[in-house]
Amino acid sequence: MSGILTRIKDKLKSYRVPGYRTKFDYKWTMVVDLDRCSGCEACVVACYAENNLPVVGKRDCDVSRRFSWIRIERYVEGEYPDVKVKFIPIMCQHCDTAPCEIGCPVYATYHNQDGLNVQVYNRCVGTFTCATYCTYDVRRFNWFTYKWDAPLEQQLNPDVTVREMGVMEKCTFCIQRIRVAKDTAKDEGRKVTDGDMQTACMQSCPTDAITFGDMNDPNSKVSKLAKSPRRYRLLEELDTDPSVIYLKRVMDDKKGSGNGHGSSHG
Amino acid sequence: MDNISYKEVNEDVVRTMTKTGWKYWVALILCAGLAVALWGVPWGYQIYVGQGVTGLNTPTFWGIYLANFVFWIGISHSGTLLSAILFITATPWRRSIYRSAEAITFFSVLTAAIFIFVHMGRPWNFYWTMPYFTTRQLWVNFTSPIMFDVFAISTYMTSSVIFLYFGSIPDLAAVRDRVTGWRKPVYTYLSLGWRGTDAEWHWLSKSYTFFAVFIIPLAVSVHSIVSWDFALSMVPGLNKTIFAPYFVVGAIFSGTAAIVTLMVCFRKAMKVEKYITLMHFDKLCMLLLVMSLLWSYINVVEVFSGWFANTSAENETLRYRMFLAPHSYMFWLMILTNSILPLLFIFRRLRTSIFVCVVVSIGINVGMWIERYLIVATSLPRKFLPNMWHDYIPSLLEISVTVGSFFFFAMLFLIFVKVWPSISIYEVKEDIGFPMRKGFKRH
Amino acid sequence: MNQPVLGLFPHVDSMVEAAVGLKDTGYTVTVFSPIPLGDALDPIVVRKNYIRYFALFGAFIGLFFGIILTLGTAALYVLPRGGLPIWPITPTLLLTYESIILFGVIWTLIGFFIVARKPNFGKQIYDPKVAIDSFGLLVEDIREDKIEEVEQLLKSFGADEVNRVEKS
Repeated sequence: MSGILTRIKDKLKSYRVPGYRTKFDYKWTMVVDLDRCSGCEACVVACYAENNLPVVGKRDCDVSRRFSWIRIERYVEGEYPDVKVKFIPIMCQHCDTAPCEIGCPVYATYHNQDGLNVQVYNRCVGTFTCATYCTYDVRRFNWFTYKWDAPLEQQLNPDVTVREMGVMEKCTFCIQRIRVAKDTAKDEGRKVTDGDMQTACMQSCPTDAITFGDMNDPNSKVSKLAKSPRRYRLLEELDTDPSVIYLKRVMDDKKGSGNGHGSSHG
Repeated sequence: MDNISYKEVNEDVVRTMTKTGWKYWVALILCAGLAVALWGVPWGYQIYVGQGVTGLNTPTFWGIYLANFVFWIGISHSGTLLSAILFITATPWRRSIYRSAEAITFFSVLTAAIFIFVHMGRPWNFYWTMPYFTTRQLWVNFTSPIMFDVFAISTYMTSSVIFLYFGSIPDLAAVRDRVTGWRKPVYTYLSLGWRGTDAEWHWLSKSYTFFAVFIIPLAVSVHSIVSWDFALSMVPGLNKTIFAPYFVVGAIFSGTAAIVTLMVCFRKAMKVEKYITLMHFDKLCMLLLVMSLLWSYINVVEVFSGWFANTSAENETLRYRMFLAPHSYMFWLMILTNSILPLLFIFRRLRTSIFVCVVVSIGINVGMWIERYLIVATSLPRKFLPNMWHDYIPSLLEISVTVGSFFFFAMLFLIFVKVWPSISIYEVKEDIGFPMRKGFKRH
Repeated sequence: MNQPVLGLFPHVDSMVEAAVGLKDTGYTVTVFSPIPLGDALDPIVVRKNYIRYFALFGAFIGLFFGIILTLGTAALYVLPRGGLPIWPITPTLLLTYESIILFGVIWTLIGFFIVARKPNFGKQIYDPKVAIDSFGLLVEDIREDKIEEVEQLLKSFGADEVNRVEKS
């Protein structure tokens, strides 16, 4: 009798405390070392190629509708010649307490077992709630049905859906590559480890500023990098618990305040 | 209302429904035509081409459509809520205006509900937001404020239609007895075989009380929930705990102003000045004054708490809203129409002046529309990361849809006054009093 | 064969007096009026308020519906989102609140239809004048020889018109 009661109690508890912050199969994490970032935007181009992002043209870019899932934010401080330029690549932060997931009425965006914030294109009805709630402005909307002029449609990635008009989308941490890596690892009866897969942005980064891996694995590269004293997360004060970790750029500051990126922009 | 006989009330109300001049048809065709031309056609184009035809951009995903949605929901709070509150408190001046006020509620909720679909990216999939049983293993997210909206607005629409229809049953019966032709069978079915027996009146008034009791908390919750669409986000300028009372007060404020404007037109066009008297405007304007003071207070609190928080994001939003053109013009115009002009209603003479009533009430509605627009259009362009800041300018199509919605609403109201007894016959008679041997006895 | 008689009164108080008189004699009377007479009818009949049971029943149905819908289906479709529990408290309260009101309103309407026996499109005794300015008093169960007496009585209390009516 008491066994049944405990089981019911555990079951009830599991609905209140699902434990998906700690019990993920994987905890995919990206570490961006801003000290290495040169702002070359190779990651942006790689992302366009990998994820079938449409190029929207001048007119739509002017009204802030460009499609880059990852963008390099550029901040210039001071007057010439005493100028400091700072770069920060920003992609979907895959927050563990994501504001966007709360807003979606139809579960088009939710958290999966890998700790990823995923977007189900077919389920999206386009209420814009997720994009409005997103504190990082990383969500992109298909304002029109975008077409690729022939022969450009030949270069579309067959592993990634081409999205239709009226659908919200965002960085997926190259989930198609994660899937392949997981399948391979499963066939070989092990877990995915460092080097099994790379995201497109990481692969194309000439300075190795971007590192991607499993935070649940204490020996992975990201776990080690995340212990760095330079570590911070973007807009951490909003308690969104992002999965992207930035390593602060160490700058020569004449005033000696050393106030770098990130939250100071908020 | 001393010099009106019972018979006259029936005749007057039936006259508003059956005697139709050419001006009515011109107005109706004009409204219907403009509603289709300004709303229907552009919306169809938008569905076909995509949301890209709007002025929306990456940080500003909600624009004028959401402002319209909140505005129309706000207008709806006049009728049913006011009617229910005045019914519970047994306020006599409710009786000749409540029917059309409730109609305003229904039509504006309808307009607002359509705006949800207008702002959606894929409106043909709207039914995915309903919790219907499906074999596709997909369900709706009950933590979403949009989901609260779906529940609240569908409940609100159902309840206010029931409230409107239920209160009209005796009048539909009275109309049934006096009309001929195609109207006869229609009203026979609508009146459900009402005879006016003591038992029927008893059950009607008991049920009506229950409807009123159910509807007051519902109406308050509906606009609170609409405010949580914004307040549950983290965006500076939207993330305000005071939004729920702010929206409810604003809703009653704008709704009452809409009643005043429409009542002026209605009594003039239908020649029912003896039922909707200056006394009604006097009372409604008092209500407007109170609501204006409340609204101003909450507005000051909202700005003050944002300023007092003194975070860089919040400060930027306030600056952008209050001191940077073009939004600053709109902001201070809103303060003028919503906080300063209604102060005219302190004076009784101005409260009973139709001209002042019209000017101020239209001003309030303009101001309340601006308020909703500013909430959306000045918060979202200034989110946390300055690199993504981008201003929002509504496209011509969005403005056309907005204007078209007013014609759509006017069209519905014009149809209403011809097919429904728009003044409550039996309650105006109650206002006249019981005919006793020694004259009329009022309650 | 019972012949119902309908007397049309111009005044409320005379109608109520006539009704009280007839009721004391043992007739069944039905009052028709263009407005709700409320407690003016207390001397004739006092009714209980059955509507409230329907309203309460509807509210309970709504309560269960809301809870089952939000908690039950969330347990069936476990999809984590936003760091929230699968059974969040506030949305459950909110949606239950709305469904209580929705079902309360619907069941109040159903309750009205049941107790007031509406809609009823069958043959009924009715005079269109009672929707305008007359207060009707319908007397049924009259013995054949008493009809004249009842008619006289209604007239003596001040009825304008007394008609022998049929269902129509």
